[in-house]
Amino acid sequence: MDMIEVSGLVKSYGPIEAVKDIQFRVKKGEVVGFLGPNGAGKSTTMKIITGSMAPTGGSVRVAGYDVFEDPVEVKKRIGYLPENPPVYGEMTVESYLRFVAKLKGVSSDRVSKQVEKSIEKTDLGSVRKRLIQNLSKGFRQRVGIAQALVSDPEVLILDEPTSGLDPRQVAEVRALIQELKGEHTIILSTHILPEVQSMCERIIIINRGRIVAEDSIQGLSNRMAGSTQVKIKVSRSGAALEAALKSLKGVHGVVASDGGYTLQVSAGGQVGSAGQAGGATQDSSARFENSDLAVELIAETVVQTKSGLLELKRDAVDLEEIFLKLTTGEESQSPGGVR
Amino acid sequence: MREVLVIAGKDLRNLFMSPLFYSIAGLCTIAWTLVYFLGLQEFAEASSMNAMQGAGEGASLHFVVFTRHISLVNLVMIFAVSAMSMRLFTEEKRNQTMALLLTSPVSSTQITLGKFLAGLLAAWALIAVSFFYPASLRVFTAFDWGPLISSYIGLLLLTGCYVAVGMLASSLTESTVLSVIMSLIFNVMLWFIGALSDASSDSNVSKVFDHLNVGSHFVNFIKGSVSLAGVTFFVSVIVLMTFLTQRVVESNRWR
Repeated sequence: MDMIEVSGLVKSYGPIEAVKDIQFRVKKGEVVGFLGPNGAGKSTTMKIITGSMAPTGGSVRVAGYDVFEDPVEVKKRIGYLPENPPVYGEMTVESYLRFVAKLKGVSSDRVSKQVEKSIEKTDLGSVRKRLIQNLSKGFRQRVGIAQALVSDPEVLILDEPTSGLDPRQVAEVRALIQELKGEHTIILSTHILPEVQSMCERIIIINRGRIVAEDSIQGLSNRMAGSTQVKIKVSRSGAALEAALKSLKGVHGVVASDGGYTLQVSAGGQVGSAGQAGGATQDSSARFENSDLAVELIAETVVQTKSGLLELKRDAVDLEEIFLKLTTGEESQSPGGVR
Repeated sequence: MREVLVIAGKDLRNLFMSPLFYSIAGLCTIAWTLVYFLGLQEFAEASSMNAMQGAGEGASLHFVVFTRHISLVNLVMIFAVSAMSMRLFTEEKRNQTMALLLTSPVSSTQITLGKFLAGLLAAWALIAVSFFYPASLRVFTAFDWGPLISSYIGLLLLTGCYVAVGMLASSLTESTVLSVIMSLIFNVMLWFIGALSDASSDSNVSKVFDHLNVGSHFVNFIKGSVSLAGVTFFVSVIVLMTFLTQRVVESNRWR
């Protein structure tokens, strides 16, 4: 069942169109990452889904309810963390969470239980009696997340959940979201790439108010040309190795650095020794095997040349490149082109 | 209803936990105490003079002491309520907590009513304090409760108007300073609309303005008559201002 259905969403501020015809679906229990540069329309889209902003056109359905016809039903099902955690500085963490729970319509006998649960999940036990204004940014962000969780909503919408946190806290928040994966349908926005990779099953890349790509991470990285990056360290440098790698089909770039001891190989498209990957270009599982194949072939080649393989690292972290390609590309690039 | 109470409860709690409320309450009581004490002393002197001259009781306690107290309470409330109601919406907007309210399963009407209720109860708490001044005199002397009670009913309704106006002002801006200034101007204007009746030569128009005269309605309450026209007038002002605020809150979604 589709938990969230967004179709033909348009939002304009006067002559400026912040969101242009955004369309996507999210299945129950899915974790979807919203990716895009600042000002791409991520927050606007999220605000519209949560019902705090009305769109200029298009419709949003959450759990089968239309956001504009049954706003209360939709809002009961959504936990929302805006860019800035919506906290009252003069309240203590506990009283604030109790207030939010009641506001979200948690029945009186369940309020305490739900507050305890969200405090426990976000690990706020040590500060529960403190005033929120005296808490650090990281704790406030966690209070914000606790606030989104407190009504145990089916859908969680998190706008940049890790912004302003230190690396340890970022790791904690990511772990928390991992934990929440099964129970809730989650949409989270970010402009930090590793975040999406570590947390999301699917990404939607938005640029200038349009969806420029939508796929699983694997699918996305595989479909892009030059998506497989392999870093090799060898103990014996040699032109032979470089030449051998370059001669592989599908390898379209070998950059030797560090005096030839480190090589950066990029491969993609039609990979393999002749004929092997002939027809396998259409469905994404085939492409996935393709990139595996590329790594396999490269490894084989390195061993065959007896260069003394010390390290072979596959850089899946190529999302960055995809992202840049998609978001800095000229406007004229049609959204369907990548899709 | 539960939603309204939840929002009102939160706002009241935050107001009662803040130094703002107590500074306002402190300043109010200082002003009231000084003036009330002076008025009482004056009245005591005047009535003992009357008694010596054998001219009977003289002026009534209600019209000399209480009325003066009540008009001062009214004057002070214009400022006090403006200062208290400024936070109702501006604070939410500045804290970005408006997003929380707007994404919760509550309607704009419930948000507005919750806020109004919080402001109203806070203002009425101050009115209750001011009621102790005349009421405590009962220990020393007998007086008629009637006009005092009716004056206080008027006062409660009037402060309701101030709260509704202040709430509207705070919903219009993100700046607390601007909100206070607007609220003060609107509240003072409320008192001067009635004066426009003199400015118009058309007798029907001036009749309309006469009915909009806060002062003349309030005077009836002080005189001891709780008239339907008076109650209707104050309630209408409250309803109108609350309705306008609700529209402003609702419009947040469309911007």
